[in-house]
Formats: sequence, structure tokens, C-alpha cells
Amino acid sequence: MTKPICYGRYLTRYLASAIILLLCFGLTAHAQEKTVKGKVTDEQNNPLSGVSVVQKGTTNGTVTSDKGDFSITVPSSAILVFTSVGFTDQEVAVGTNTIISLQLKSLPQHLTDVVVVGYATQKKVTVTGAVTAVKGENLVKSPAVDLSNSLAGRLPGLVVIQQSGEPGYDGASISIRGTNTLGRNEPLIVIDGVPERDGGIGRLNPRDIESISVLKDASAAIYGSRAANGVILVTTKKGSTGKPKITYDFNRGWNQPARIPEMSNAFEYASIMNELPIYKTIPVAEWEAAWQAIKTTGTYDSPTPGVSTLNANYSPTAVQKYKDHSDPWGYPDTDWFGDAFKTWSPQDRHNLQLSGGSDNFRYFTSIGYVKQDAYYHKSATNYHQYNFRANLTAKVNSYITTTMGILARREQRRFPTESAGAIFRMLMRGRPTEPEVWPNGKPGPDIENGQNPYVITTNATGYNDNPTDFVQGNGTVEITNPWVKGLKLTLSAAVDKSTSVSETWQTPWMLYYWDRVTYEADGVTPKLVGAIRSNFTDPRLTKSYGSILNTNLTALLNYDRKIGTDHNIGLLVGVTKEKYTGTGFIAYRREYISPAVALFNVGGATQTATDPVNPPYRPYERTRLGYYGRAQYNFREKYLAEFVWRYDGSYIFPSEKRFGFFPGLLLGWNITNEDFFHVEGINYLKLRASYGQMGNDQVYYRNVLQEFAYLDLFRFGRYPINNSVVTTLYPGTVKNLDFTWEVANNYNIGLDATILNNKIDLTLEAFLNKRDQILIQRVGQTPQTTGFVDNLPPFNDGKVDNKGFEFSVAYNGKIGRDWIFRAGINGGYAKNKVVYMDEISGAPAYQRQEGKQINAYLVYKSAGVFLNQEDINKNTIDYSGVTSKLIPGDMKFEDVNGDGKITGDDQVRLDKNITPTFNYGATMEVRYKGFDLNILFQGAAGAAIRIQTESGDIGNFLKYSYDHRWSIDNPSSEHPRLASRGDTYFTGGNFGNNTYYLFSKNYLRLKNIELGYNVPESILNKVKLSGLRVFVNGLNVFTIDKMKVYDPEATVQSGVFYPQARVINAGLSLTF
Amino acid sequence: MKKLKLIAAFAGIGLFLFISCKRNFLDLQPKDQVSSDITWTDGALSQAFIYGTYAYLGYGGFEEQALAAYTDEAMFTHAGRNINTFTQGSETASNLAWISGTYGWKQMYEAIRRANIAIENLPNATFADQVLRDRLLGEAYFLRAYYYHQLIRFYGGVPIVDKTFALNVDYSIARNTWEECVNFIVGDLDKAAQLLDGKAITAGRASKIAAMALKARVLLYAASDLHDGPTAKANSSVLSGYANLNLLAYASGDQQTRWQAAKAAAKAVLDAAQGYKLNLSAPVSADEGKDNYISIAMGGKSGAPGLDAAAAVELIFQRTHTALYTEEDNWPLGGIHYGINNGPNGYHNWAGNTPIQQLVDDYEMMDGTKFDWNNATHALDPYAGRDPRFYATILYDGATWKPRPSDVAAVDPVNQVQTGYYDNGSGGFLNGIDTRESPIENWNGSRTHYYTRKFIDPNPALPDNQSNAQVVPWPFIRYTEMVLNYVEACIETGDEAEARTWLNKIRFRAGMPAVTDAGQALVDRYRNERRIELSYEEHRYHDVRRWMIPAQTVGRGIKEINVVAKLKPGKTALVPYRHDKTVYNYTYTVEDNTENETRTWNDKMYYRAISRDEINTNNKLVNNPGF
Repeated sequence: MTKPICYGRYLTRYLASAIILLLCFGLTAHAQEKTVKGKVTDEQNNPLSGVSVVQKGTTNGTVTSDKGDFSITVPSSAILVFTSVGFTDQEVAVGTNTIISLQLKSLPQHLTDVVVVGYATQKKVTVTGAVTAVKGENLVKSPAVDLSNSLAGRLPGLVVIQQSGEPGYDGASISIRGTNTLGRNEPLIVIDGVPERDGGIGRLNPRDIESISVLKDASAAIYGSRAANGVILVTTKKGSTGKPKITYDFNRGWNQPARIPEMSNAFEYASIMNELPIYKTIPVAEWEAAWQAIKTTGTYDSPTPGVSTLNANYSPTAVQKYKDHSDPWGYPDTDWFGDAFKTWSPQDRHNLQLSGGSDNFRYFTSIGYVKQDAYYHKSATNYHQYNFRANLTAKVNSYITTTMGILARREQRRFPTESAGAIFRMLMRGRPTEPEVWPNGKPGPDIENGQNPYVITTNATGYNDNPTDFVQGNGTVEITNPWVKGLKLTLSAAVDKSTSVSETWQTPWMLYYWDRVTYEADGVTPKLVGAIRSNFTDPRLTKSYGSILNTNLTALLNYDRKIGTDHNIGLLVGVTKEKYTGTGFIAYRREYISPAVALFNVGGATQTATDPVNPPYRPYERTRLGYYGRAQYNFREKYLAEFVWRYDGSYIFPSEKRFGFFPGLLLGWNITNEDFFHVEGINYLKLRASYGQMGNDQVYYRNVLQEFAYLDLFRFGRYPINNSVVTTLYPGTVKNLDFTWEVANNYNIGLDATILNNKIDLTLEAFLNKRDQILIQRVGQTPQTTGFVDNLPPFNDGKVDNKGFEFSVAYNGKIGRDWIFRAGINGGYAKNKVVYMDEISGAPAYQRQEGKQINAYLVYKSAGVFLNQEDINKNTIDYSGVTSKLIPGDMKFEDVNGDGKITGDDQVRLDKNITPTFNYGATMEVRYKGFDLNILFQGAAGAAIRIQTESGDIGNFLKYSYDHRWSIDNPSSEHPRLASRGDTYFTGGNFGNNTYYLFSKNYLRLKNIELGYNVPESILNKVKLSGLRVFVNGLNVFTIDKMKVYDPEATVQSGVFYPQARVINAGLSLTF
Repeated sequence: MKKLKLIAAFAGIGLFLFISCKRNFLDLQPKDQVSSDITWTDGALSQAFIYGTYAYLGYGGFEEQALAAYTDEAMFTHAGRNINTFTQGSETASNLAWISGTYGWKQMYEAIRRANIAIENLPNATFADQVLRDRLLGEAYFLRAYYYHQLIRFYGGVPIVDKTFALNVDYSIARNTWEECVNFIVGDLDKAAQLLDGKAITAGRASKIAAMALKARVLLYAASDLHDGPTAKANSSVLSGYANLNLLAYASGDQQTRWQAAKAAAKAVLDAAQGYKLNLSAPVSADEGKDNYISIAMGGKSGAPGLDAAAAVELIFQRTHTALYTEEDNWPLGGIHYGINNGPNGYHNWAGNTPIQQLVDDYEMMDGTKFDWNNATHALDPYAGRDPRFYATILYDGATWKPRPSDVAAVDPVNQVQTGYYDNGSGGFLNGIDTRESPIENWNGSRTHYYTRKFIDPNPALPDNQSNAQVVPWPFIRYTEMVLNYVEACIETGDEAEARTWLNKIRFRAGMPAVTDAGQALVDRYRNERRIELSYEEHRYHDVRRWMIPAQTVGRGIKEINVVAKLKPGKTALVPYRHDKTVYNYTYTVEDNTENETRTWNDKMYYRAISRDEINTNNKLVNNPGF
């Protein structure tokens, strides 16, 4: 084995040399001095605090106080430079003056905004990358508990999909510019400078957020190895100089499912279940007669020999009783969702913030509490969160500043012992003809396995308590070199620690049964008999513990200088070492003497680890090492150039292939800064272009991260031998020494403009992302006879192209003195194409994944329905490979290859998958005096979902299915017959995968609305408050969509998921 | 300049301290895996690797979708599982029917790779225990042979991969002939038998006897008609039109010689081991015969009263179970939940692979005569006076079974299977609680109105679908199969007296009278005996193919029974209902069932299709006839 080269050592040496070089830039001397005082105001003569007043060409400087006053000692020859964010810089020669007061002119907003980019902030005018950002103040308008849901519709190019609304797991999946790779597509999330921060973005307190930036193009290249899917930068609030400011927010919300699938009622269900057996056994010619007989007498005797008598599943009397609700005990009409849910479930959020500071010390602290209840009646599921954050900045002396960020958070999740999957499977299946709860309030029978949603949503089954505690700290020491102007060294460290302790207490539960013949002594009250219906009888306790420790050490060296009046340069080099570790265990005891005692040490004799080989907390250790930098240059903010790079190493790769170099080049041209450019109505115009190469090492196959694929390893498993469990070993991934970084080649061109007297801001982006060296398994060239098709190592083979565009247009308007009006629309389109993925050859061209979107549907093309026997008689296509006999209401398929037969070759690859290609949002803000109204519409288009429920004798049908079905009474040439549990060729098995069951996921929804009122100061002064705001807001208020079956964000075809929430919330915010 | 140096030093040192590059910072070792090198230096780890090679035995035959459902033993209750794709003959290379992981092409080659890794490494293993090393190597050879035997039973001759493939080489490999495959398997088994000679015998692991028995089975298959080229051609136009018939059958050689080899191999096992109660000279009582048969099926692992744990001696190679083996709790449920997968819905079980009427009809009467629906006595009371193994294998309307679960107990306090429809005395019918019209989980009701009970632990203390799990072993190879193999080889080699002697030993144990048939009658009797004795043991699928009689057996449609009870004149309906011939007149009607499958036979069904993708990744492969 060769020794790995320690690139780091060389680089640190270079860094040291670089420092020495930089130090060679000029030093300054001292001269005769005097004190100058003054006041700085804005154009309305309001005092401006925090204005930097610096003696030109030196580091001698101060900032203005609350009242705008300053005092500085300078030589008479000095020139004072006044700078403040949002205002034009101004220079004043001191001369003989001892008092200098002046007004600063405010800049147009687009020139003043500062955007957080990788390891720095940039003025928006000098930004050269495709960067979009949102301020924390916009995010707090949403009552969503998980912050990820508040990002939808606000950031063009961001694809945000909420797949579940379950408290504790209601976060959205986020991707940038759609899907770019066959591998993992998650963007890198950086929180306060720390990448891949434990706990992620979702549970951050929205009130702690200063801003969120999204780097969509080569601007992300400074995060090189993990930037391929884009980067999301979260910056939390810092304290600002001034009096202590205390803010208390209180929110009380009510949530309910944004949409519950509408199911058939008892009458409808009984009708379907009476129809289905006719199709199974009765000759087609007799269907009409049979259906009439079943409806009227409940029995049909076929004249055809060998056909047995057909009895109705539900007699005419029963059907009538289901319809008229005359006998709720015997013939209920159960709304399974309705019985299991309450109308509204509460959610609360409290937040107390304290911030302020002096010149030398600034602080921001916040304490928060969140409580969220689930939809279930007597819900066992709930979520509690406690969070604390302190961000402190201390100026030790003129040259040294230190910052510290501390976060503590408890995420306390509680669930029933039966999963949401089990609960919603039962809710979807619950037959309306069966009781969920008896009229007297006792829980009804189970659907199966003891599962009755009315009970398994409560703590009658025990509980699963799963608190996770986070403690995170990050600190920096910033050393400004006093002798080299513009040189700064920043050393930072972050430690994230989390522990998760899960306790599952399973207790047997009771359900109530009525045999439908026995009554209480009174002769009218049905006699219910209780029975234990859990599939175990002894209480059991499982405990597990998981712990994560992540560390990040970073050193940054900055050099920023303006040379002369024209040349601005900025240099940055940095190095980061990261380590991620995780560990945990699980333990299990059973045979508790009573469900009343959930103490770990008093269980019975049986105790075992349920799965020691694959515990919920798999131990791991992961490391990364990165060297990176940025070189920026601009000429009078007219010509902009930026080069970013990263040289990154990851433990994922074999030692020879471990490091990769990822550069990004970005150029900008502020045309409006050109002397020749004078176009009426165009206030500002910038063109941008970028190209970057970024890496991705997140190789997942079958949802397992492929670590150590360069080692010859055996994995542990278990198997029973001789009636006991033995530990087994089996081969893991076949070793490969030849794989390295997946590379994103991202091209972007952009345009930023402000037009019509600064009224309209416009940004346009167009991109082409060419991902190559995607780490895929060579399945297409590996036959199963090798025995390792599932154990193939990664190779840098795959290629995916992804292209699209984004736009955002914002309008800022004022009407009269009191009306302020802002509106914007934004959208992002991204569509990918698999260029190469080592597909198995031999399939017809129209079935190939290459050339189509990743995970595009491979389906049979439904071509209507056989309306009647006559229609079948006319059919000339051979269905013998599909079904042994065609009958009316069967689905037709398109004979794609025209061979006269329906076979596997008639499947086609659509260019559509479950991820939308176009995501958009529209915002509107209206202010009038103390009132403000904010509206966010959000939508997506281009995705499809297959809908298939567990229906038939096993479970209920969608109302949609009842309404749209071929039936004897109402034959259709569009909608097929219904089936019991996939027992027709077009519902179950391979042919069930057809276009008829694909539904559009296009939607537009009122994602977020807030109406607020700020009580005027005149009233507040009387009660000694400095601010009071009351507001109401909502989430997912209404939705316009085509599907109308599940929530259009759903990704589960069976409907078995906890639906996304609609939230109505009211709150107030007090500032002292 | 002094300051400057100071600053430079300060900054430089800061950087170095902070980010000093530890050379091995990125060199990590996994925390949950072990290196292959270490494994072969350590006996326990090497043994763990062999255990891992057993894992492809899966649940044995205790899978939710049992092989019985591909035969004229059973039908699978639930639609949409691609069972009908097979039984209707619509399987194609691009539309495969249900394939179990216990014989699937992909899984078997993964298993073979594990065995190959062991066979390549064990001879050079450095741990000290020589006996263990030989034992492990012997098991590796046995397992490789076992997995190849699964492949050839389902696919015919397959590519023989006898060493591990390196990465990125030419993977293409042609199928070996049937004969080469048989010889290869027999070779491995001979090595296994030699290496395992004198080694400890552990339930669930291979032994010398197991190797000998598997060899006997493979030689029996090799001798059978399907694998004799000329016979196969004569019996099937699909096979005779197949250009590569030597992949599936012997192109030359003498079938009689192969029968002699099969006979000798089976006899060797009979001599080296012993069966359960095979020394009887007259039939036992019907009750004892039933208990004997249940005891064998339970493999000594049932706590039910009256069963004999000594019957475990039958098991030559088995898949053992443990109730604590939590992975078997995972979906799809396996052996410990066999009762859930196959029991009646009125016990909250799922019906699964329910016996079809044709199997029920093939149980003889106690006197050794055939059951006949045209016999009025038989038709009136079809479940009376049958082969005791019928009662041990099949749950029918009125059969007594385990205590009902507490929520059903009130409806059926006498614990009888209810698969019929019973006069309620007021003009309607009460639907039996184990029917598909039952109020209890009707979607899990039998479509044939029977349930299998053979491998369900009858222990009343083990309610199925509660946490208690049965630990009945799966019999991959049991002694009686060897007896039957020997009987078949005797018949085929003209040794009919010997055949009858051994056949009768099996019948006596079951409580059935001796047979005296000869010639074709003996062949038929033997085939039926094998069908009954080995039902639900994954033999029928192969046997009807070997004998080339599938059209008359699995090619038949599915028949079910319809049981209707009418009140006798003057009687009132029993509440709760129980089976009572004094109160009800029961009528039994045989009907066709095409709810899930319209079964047919096509000669391409002799062998499974190799998937289109596999053929496209290995261009030397040719598919089986008809695909």
C-alpha cells in the first residue's frame, strides 16, 4: 500500500506563505491629532446609529450612537469616510472643522441588500451567482411547525414537497433545481457556517432566523464536495447595539387535515360489493338479470348449468338500512376518518426574545416552546419542542472579536405504538358498513390484527416516547491584523451533540364485539363482549439510545482591499476539518406483570435486543477535510469577477481517489454603471454568467449510504440454526479501488434588473446542469449469475442533464401616503434527462430510462374500456397474455409495438415522474396604516402519482372510484370496473401499472396568509410598551387541483399517510 | 519588521495548531462490519460465514405464497400476486410470474457465490481447528449443491459458476448441459459427504446423511422421464422442438442405468439412517396413524398432547425455527407464522394456500379403495372414513380445530371449522365463520372452503396471530422421501416386491392397509401415495413434471366444495351453530373456481423463464423452450 499524500500539510505551508505575502502590503504612520464631533442623520433628519466613521486610509474609526452622535480623534489632514448599510458612502475632509454633521443619502433597495454567500456576505450589486434569499421576517408569517414548509413558494428554484403532516415528522423534502443526479439529491444545508448541521433546518425556530440564502449555481462551488445539489445557508439573528429589546410572541393555532380522501359510504360500498361477484361468476349475457335479482331479492339463480346460486353480499334490506340509517347498531354508516379525528387540533408556540448590546458586546437570546397535537380524537401522537438560542458577539479589542452561538433544543415526539402507516392503512380500509365505535361509545371491532383506528391512535396501546436533545455550540475568534489593512484571520469551531432516547411501552388492548344476536337483559341493547385483540398479551418495553457527535474546525483568512478608487479585491482561503460520529444501542424486555408498570428493571425473564445487528442507531464515523478559497475582483462595481474553489477529501473514497478539486468562475457586468448606458426606465441592469464544478459523495443504494466500498468486508446478519438465533456473516459490497467524486458541471446565466423608476425588480436565470461521474452500479452489464448484482460497488459512470429557468418579478408600490403595495411572482422550471445509467439493454427504445426523466413511470397505456360484449367481440388484439377471458368493463391497452398482442413490450416509459417540474409562488403584501396583509400562493405542475387503494372485500373504495366506474347500470367506455383487492388484470399484478391510475399532481394553493395590526405608538406609550401586534394567519388554506383525491403533495399511492395540515392561527407579539 | 514576523508566526502557528493534518484523518474503519481477511483467521467468524450461506434457505417452504399453490394441492387465496400469471401459462421473459427467493435465479447465484467464497478461502484458513474447517468446507459444498439443485429443478441446466467472479471481467457464461449440472452437483455432494463424515450432527445444518440424501434426490430427478431426452421429446412437441434439449435432459445414455444409480443412492440413505415407525408389519389404528403423521409434520416441536417428539428422527435436513427470532416477525411472515398465513379467517388467520377439491378427493378410503363422488355413501358424507392423513392435513367443514380467539369464542364455543352455509331457520342462511362471507375478516376466507392444517401446530396453547409462534421445522429432506424415492426406483427397475414392501411400511404407519398392486396399477398407487404422504412439502410441483403428467394434474382447473346445511324437518337452528348431523342435512356440491385463476397447462411451464434482463446482460444464455 502506498502512503496517502498529506495534501493538507502542503497547503498549510502555502497558506503561511500567503500570509507573509499579504503582510507586505503597506503599514501606516501617526501624526498631529484633534477631536471631531458630529451627528449623522438620514434624509428625514432621523438620527442614524451604527454609522461607521473612519479616517480614510487607516483603521482609526468609530460608530455613531443611538442618537447619531460620534466623536473621533484625527489629524486635521484626515478625510472622514461615513459608511452605513443602505446609504451612499460620503467623504468629508476634516480641515479646521471640529463639528461635522451631515445627512446620508439612502440607496435604492436593490443596491443595499446584503446577501449571505459561502463564507461571506456580498452586496447584492456585486453578487455574480444565482443566489436567492428570504428574510426570517417572511418565514414567521407561516404557522407551519416545521420551518421547511415555510420555504415553499418563496424561493424560485427550490422544490419543497411536504409528504406527511404527522407531528414530529411533518418536514418537507427540499431540493434545488429539481433532480440532478441518480444518487442522493439533497442540498447541503449550512447553519451559521456549519455544514450538515445535526438536526437540520426543520426544527429551527423561525423567529431566530435572520435570513436563508440558496446558492443554485457555481456560487456554491466553495462548498465543493457537497455543493453539487446546491447549498442552503441559514443565518441566525445576532444582537444589535441598543437598549435591551424584549419581545414575546404567542401563537395559538388549530390544525386539521388539508384533505382527507373521500371514501364511499355504506350504501355505496354495499352496492359495489354486490356488483363484483356478478362479474366473477355469472355469464355476461345474464348480468342485467342478475343485477336486478340481487338488487330486489338478494339472490340470483342462473339458468346456466354449473353456475352456482349467487347470494348478495348485502341483502336488499341491509342495503336499505345502510341508506336510511335506521339501525346504527346493526347497519352503521361509518365515517372512519370522522370517528377517528377531531375537527380541530390545537398547536401553540411561545417565544421570548431578548436582544441588544453595546459597542463591545451584543447579544441575542431566545427561548421557545412549541406544542402540536395530532388530528386523532384522544391523540397519543403529539410534538413538543423546547428551544434556546444565544448568539453573542464580543469585541475584545480593536482587533479581536469573538462570537459564540449556543443552541439547546428538545424535540419530544410521542406516538402510539402502532405507526401512522398502520393507522392510515386502517382508516383507508375501514368498511363503512362496520362500526368503528359503537353507538354507546365503546370501541368497535378491529379491522384486522387488533387494529381499530379509534383505539390505536390513543395511548390505549401504550406509547412510543422519543425525545431527542440537541446541544450545539459554535464560536469564532476573528483577528483583524492591525498592520495589514483588510487582513483578517477567523478561527472557528463547532460541536453538535445530540442524544435520542426512545421508549416503547406496548400494552395489550381491548376491543368490543357484538355477535349481532345477543342482547342485554333488556332485550334491546346489544350485548358487547370485550376481548384482548392486540397480537400479544404481556406488556413489553423497548428502550433505545442513540447519540451523535459532530465537530467542525475551520480557519479562514480574508484579505479585502480597495486599490485606488477603481479596483476592489477580496481574497479568502480556508480549511475545514469535519468529523461525524454516531453510536447507540437498543434493549428489550417483556412479560411485565402489569401494564401499569413501565420500569425497565422489572420486566420478566425474556429480554433480548430486538435487532442487535441493524439497530436503529448504526454506529458510524465519517470525516472530511476541505481547503477552499475565493478571489474576487471588481472594477468600479461594473465588471465583476469571482473565482471560488475547493479541494476536498472524503473518507467515502479509496485513498488514491479521495481528493477532488472543484472550481467555480462567476462573472458579472453592471451595465447601468457604464457611462454609455442611459435607457429610460431601466434603473439597474446586471448580466451574470457562471460555470462551476461541484462534487457529491452521497452514494446511496437502496437507501443505504455506500461506505467503505473500497474494502473487502463482511456484514453481520442473523439466521436460526438448531432452533436458536446465530450471528452470520455475509459478503458486502464487492471492493472497488477506482471511484471518486460525482461531478456537477453547472452553467448559469442570469439577469438582474430594476425598472420603471425602481418599481419593478426582476431576476431571470437559465441553467444547464450536466452531472457526470455519477456513482452508479453497473447493473446493465452484470448478469445475476455473478451473484453480486445487489453488491456492486460504485463506479463513476452515470450522466444526467438537467436544465431549466427561474424568474422572479417584484413590484413595489405606494398609493397615496398610507397605502403600500408589494407583489411578486416567482417560479422555477427544471427538467432532467438521464443521459447514461447503465441500463440493461434489450428493452425496446420506448421503454428506456435513458433520455427520460429520472424515475419516469414505466406503464401500460390504458386505451379506454370495453363498453360491452359487442365491443369485446370487435376486439382484434390478443389479450391471452393478460387475462384468460375479457368481459365488459375490462380495460383496453394500447398495443404499442403493434404486434397484435398485449405483452410486456407494450409498456412505455413516460417522461413524467412523481416530482413536479415547475414550482411557483406568488406573494402579495398590502399595508395600510397599522394594518398589513400578506398572501402567499404556491403551486407545482408536471408531476403524476399512481393511485391505488386497498379496496374490495379488504377495504373501502374511494368515492372517486364509486363515482367513476363501469357498472351494469352505467357502463362506461372510459372508466373500468372496480376490483376486489386487485383481482382484475388491470388493477393487480404487472398490468395494474397503467396510465389510467396516474393522476396529475398539479395544484395551486393558498399556502400562507397573514393579516396583522400594529397598535399605534400613541396608544402603546400609555401602557409603556414599545410594540404590540396582533395577527391571524393560515397555512394551506385552500387548494385548487385536478386530482381531488389525496393532497396533491402526496407521494403515497395507497393514501396511507398522515395528511398535510391546514392551520388557522392567531397570535400577538409584544415588545417591551 | 519584528512585528511583522511576530504576526506571521502567530497566524501560521494558529493555522497549524488548528488544522494540523493528521495523515490518517480520512482513513477510517467501519464500525459495523468485519474484514474478510480477519474472518478466515478465526474459526467462529468462518463458521458465521457458513451460517450466512444457509440464509438463502429462507423460510424453507413456509412462505406466504407456497409452492403448493402452483400445483394441484392448493390455490392461493389473495389476488394480484402474479400466481395466476404462472398457472394460466402467461409467464414470459418480460412478465415473470411469482418466484420465491428459495429458488429464484438471482438469489441462488448469490447463495452460490457465498459458497464459492467459502470454498476458495477455507482451504487456506489459518485457524487451528482442523475438524471445524473440514466441517465448514463440507457444508459449503453441500450448500452449493443444494442451491444448484434448486436451480436445475426449476430452470434445467444452468451456467455452472464454481468460483467467484472478479469485478469487470467478461461475465458472460453459457448454460451447462443437464448432465454436466447433475454430475457437478453429485461431485459436490460426494465431497461434502466425505468432509462431513464423523462430524457432529446439528439440526438445521448439513450432515453426511443430508449430502447422501440430496444426491439420491438429484439422481432420481436425473433418471426421470422429463430428463431423458428421447422420452421428453416423445411426450412433448414443445420439448422436441427445442434446439438445446441437452440443457434439460440427457441426450444419450441409458435411463435404466440412471434408475439403478438412483436406486442405489436411495438405498444407501435408507441403510445409513432410520425413519420413524417404519418397522411395522400391519396398519396401526386410524387414530394412531393420524397422530404418527402429525408427529412427523411437527418434527418434534409441538407441545400438543399426544404427539411423539421422536418423529423428529425423520428429518434429514431441516430449517429450524425459534420463537424469539424476531426477523421472522418481519414481512413477509415466515415459518413461525405459518398458522397465520394459512389458517382460517375465523381464527384471524389468512387462508393462504388452501387445499383444492382434487387433493381432498385423492385421499383413499380407510379400506384402501378410492373415494368416489358417484358413490352415494361417499357423496353424502365425504369426510367420513378417509385415510387418517386426510384428517391430519386438511381442515374441512365441521373439523375440530384449536380454541377460537376470545372475540369469536361466543359464536363458536365448540371450536369447529365452519366453511359452510347453515339454515338459520328463518328462511336465510348463516354464513360459516370461516367463509368469505364471514363477519370476521372475510377477505381472508378460503375460496375452496378448505384450509390446510398439516404444518400448523395444533397446540391449543399457541393461538395463531398472537405473539406465540410455532417452531415447527421445515423438512427439506425427510427419511420417508428417501423411502418413496427408493420405491420409485424399484418400480422403474422392475423390483416391484421390494417397492410394495417399502410402500406398505409407510402405509402401515399411517394406518392404511397394504397394497398388492402391480404394473401400471402399482405406478399409479405409488404416485398417489407420494402425493398424499408428501403433500405441501414442495414435491408435487416437481413430481408431476418428472413424470410428465402435468396436463392431467396441475392442468386441471380448481375445484372447490360448497357445503350447505338444511334443517331437518322439525328441528330448530342451533344458536350458536355447531356441526350436527342430527339437526341438519348437509349437502356437498363440487364446483369450479375461477375467481383468481383459470388454470391451464402449456408445456413451456415445465421450466421457468429466464428473465429478459438476464439474457440481455449475458448474451451466451438461451432461454427455456416456449420463452
